[in-house]
Amino acid sequence: MADVVLACEGLKKAYGDLMVLKGINFKIEKGQTKVIIGPSGSGKSTFLRVIGLLEPPTDGKVFFEGQDVYSSDMDLNMVRAKIGFVFQEPSLFRHLTALDNVKIGLKVVLGMSEEEATEKAMETLRLVHLEEWAHHYPAQLSGGQQQRVGIARALAMDPDILLFDEPTASLDIELTWEVIDVMKELAEREVTMLVVTHEIGFAKEVADEILFMDDGKFLEWGPPEKVLRNPSTPRAREFLSRLLGGV
Amino acid sequence: MITLSDFLFLLQGVPVTLSISLLSFALGFIIGIPIAVVRQIAPLELTVVAEGYEKVMRGIPVLVFMLFLHFGLAGIVPIFKDSFISSVVALGLRSGAYQSQIFRGAINSVGRDQMRAAISLGMTRTQAFRHIILPQAFIVALPGLGSEIALLIKDSSYSFVLGVLDLTKYSDILRKATKSFIIPYLTAAILYILMTFPIANYLDRWGSRLKTKYGLR
Ligand SMILES: Nc1ncnc2c1ncn2[C@@H]1O[C@H](COP(=O)(O)OP(=O)(O)O)[C@@H](O)[C@H]1O
Ligand SMILES: [Mg+2]
Repeated sequence: MADVVLACEGLKKAYGDLMVLKGINFKIEKGQTKVIIGPSGSGKSTFLRVIGLLEPPTDGKVFFEGQDVYSSDMDLNMVRAKIGFVFQEPSLFRHLTALDNVKIGLKVVLGMSEEEATEKAMETLRLVHLEEWAHHYPAQLSGGQQQRVGIARALAMDPDILLFDEPTASLDIELTWEVIDVMKELAEREVTMLVVTHEIGFAKEVADEILFMDDGKFLEWGPPEKVLRNPSTPRAREFLSRLLGGV
Repeated sequence: MITLSDFLFLLQGVPVTLSISLLSFALGFIIGIPIAVVRQIAPLELTVVAEGYEKVMRGIPVLVFMLFLHFGLAGIVPIFKDSFISSVVALGLRSGAYQSQIFRGAINSVGRDQMRAAISLGMTRTQAFRHIILPQAFIVALPGLGSEIALLIKDSSYSFVLGVLDLTKYSDILRKATKSFIIPYLTAAILYILMTFPIANYLDRWGSRLKTKYGLR
């Protein structure tokens, strides 16, 4: 059996009385790319934050590489360092240059020396085609460039998985492409990725599995062709027909 | 007109006024940042202590506090027999409460996305504050810190009551010596403005420039 990087069982999350995640089972294996789609407010971002250990679950378990994260004595910060996160709104550190954004985690969390961190960060910026922008501040970069720095910042940590929360949702169309292209390159390099996105072209091309989330649960999942062409639930059919602009 | 020798006499008070102001500002800075951070992340009991400190310090007139330290507490803590030190400590402790408020507002303006991104990299909350939140909060706080320094320069004049030879005291001495009531105080007032205005203005502009550069709100 392949290595399961991240998994959850019976995962529930409530904010006060509002139950947002209603018992989710999920797993993703090394090298896989999985895409989550679903209507706004269905709980996709919440799911990523909880499985990415940014928020504790209300109930259920999260497993990182087979270990129950919340009941063993794992150092949560060290696990978080192994889970890369790219957010919807570019959340680069605004007082740091692109290069320093990528370096800061390497130095502070992984304890790399200045030279090591610089070398690693430049190398990673090259992967997202931004080495020439290394010394610019976020405010001087386009939204697409900021998102690519965000990807580099997560990627430089050598994470075991990257989580993306609608990384192109706040971008113009041309800027969307440059980000999607970088993500495709990562998928080709067998980086494990869990991506919330409605870029269906990306999902078709690189996803091993598409999961449809509705009202805090996965209603449907499977290979892209199946979920996109032949959804079995009415909710998924309705959502997809609107998303794909079909009749 | 004030004579040159009178003016030079008055000027002797300026370094003392500036030292009291800047030292008490530094003391307030050292106190203010931890209190602001404590009020963000510490357990409830500590938060209550920090909040209490702010309330008390903002509630006491600083002159009463100075008199209390110098004439009251000096019996137990001899260091407060020194009127300069009493002034600096009283102004500094109060400034800590004000600066904590300034920093708290600035920290809140930095935005939760920054903390979340830092945590996602595996930073502890303390590391996130140190490397991500506070450097940005400091920039946002600059105009407020400028006003705080200006306030301290003005309020350092209370130290005159304890006998500190600051600008106010020198102007008072000059008034007695020259029997001129208007010129000594007027000159002192102008000197106070010449100290407060450029400092506050400089920090304000420095803050705006950095805010624009980093795209901070
Ligand atoms: N921090 C929070 N506090 C309270 N409610 C929240 C919070 N985060 C999300 N929610 C609610 O949870 C539901 C799902 O939100 P979200 O996970 O952002 O959905 P999606 O990403 O699919 O649009 C929404 O009703 C939202 O209002
Ligand atoms: Mg979302």
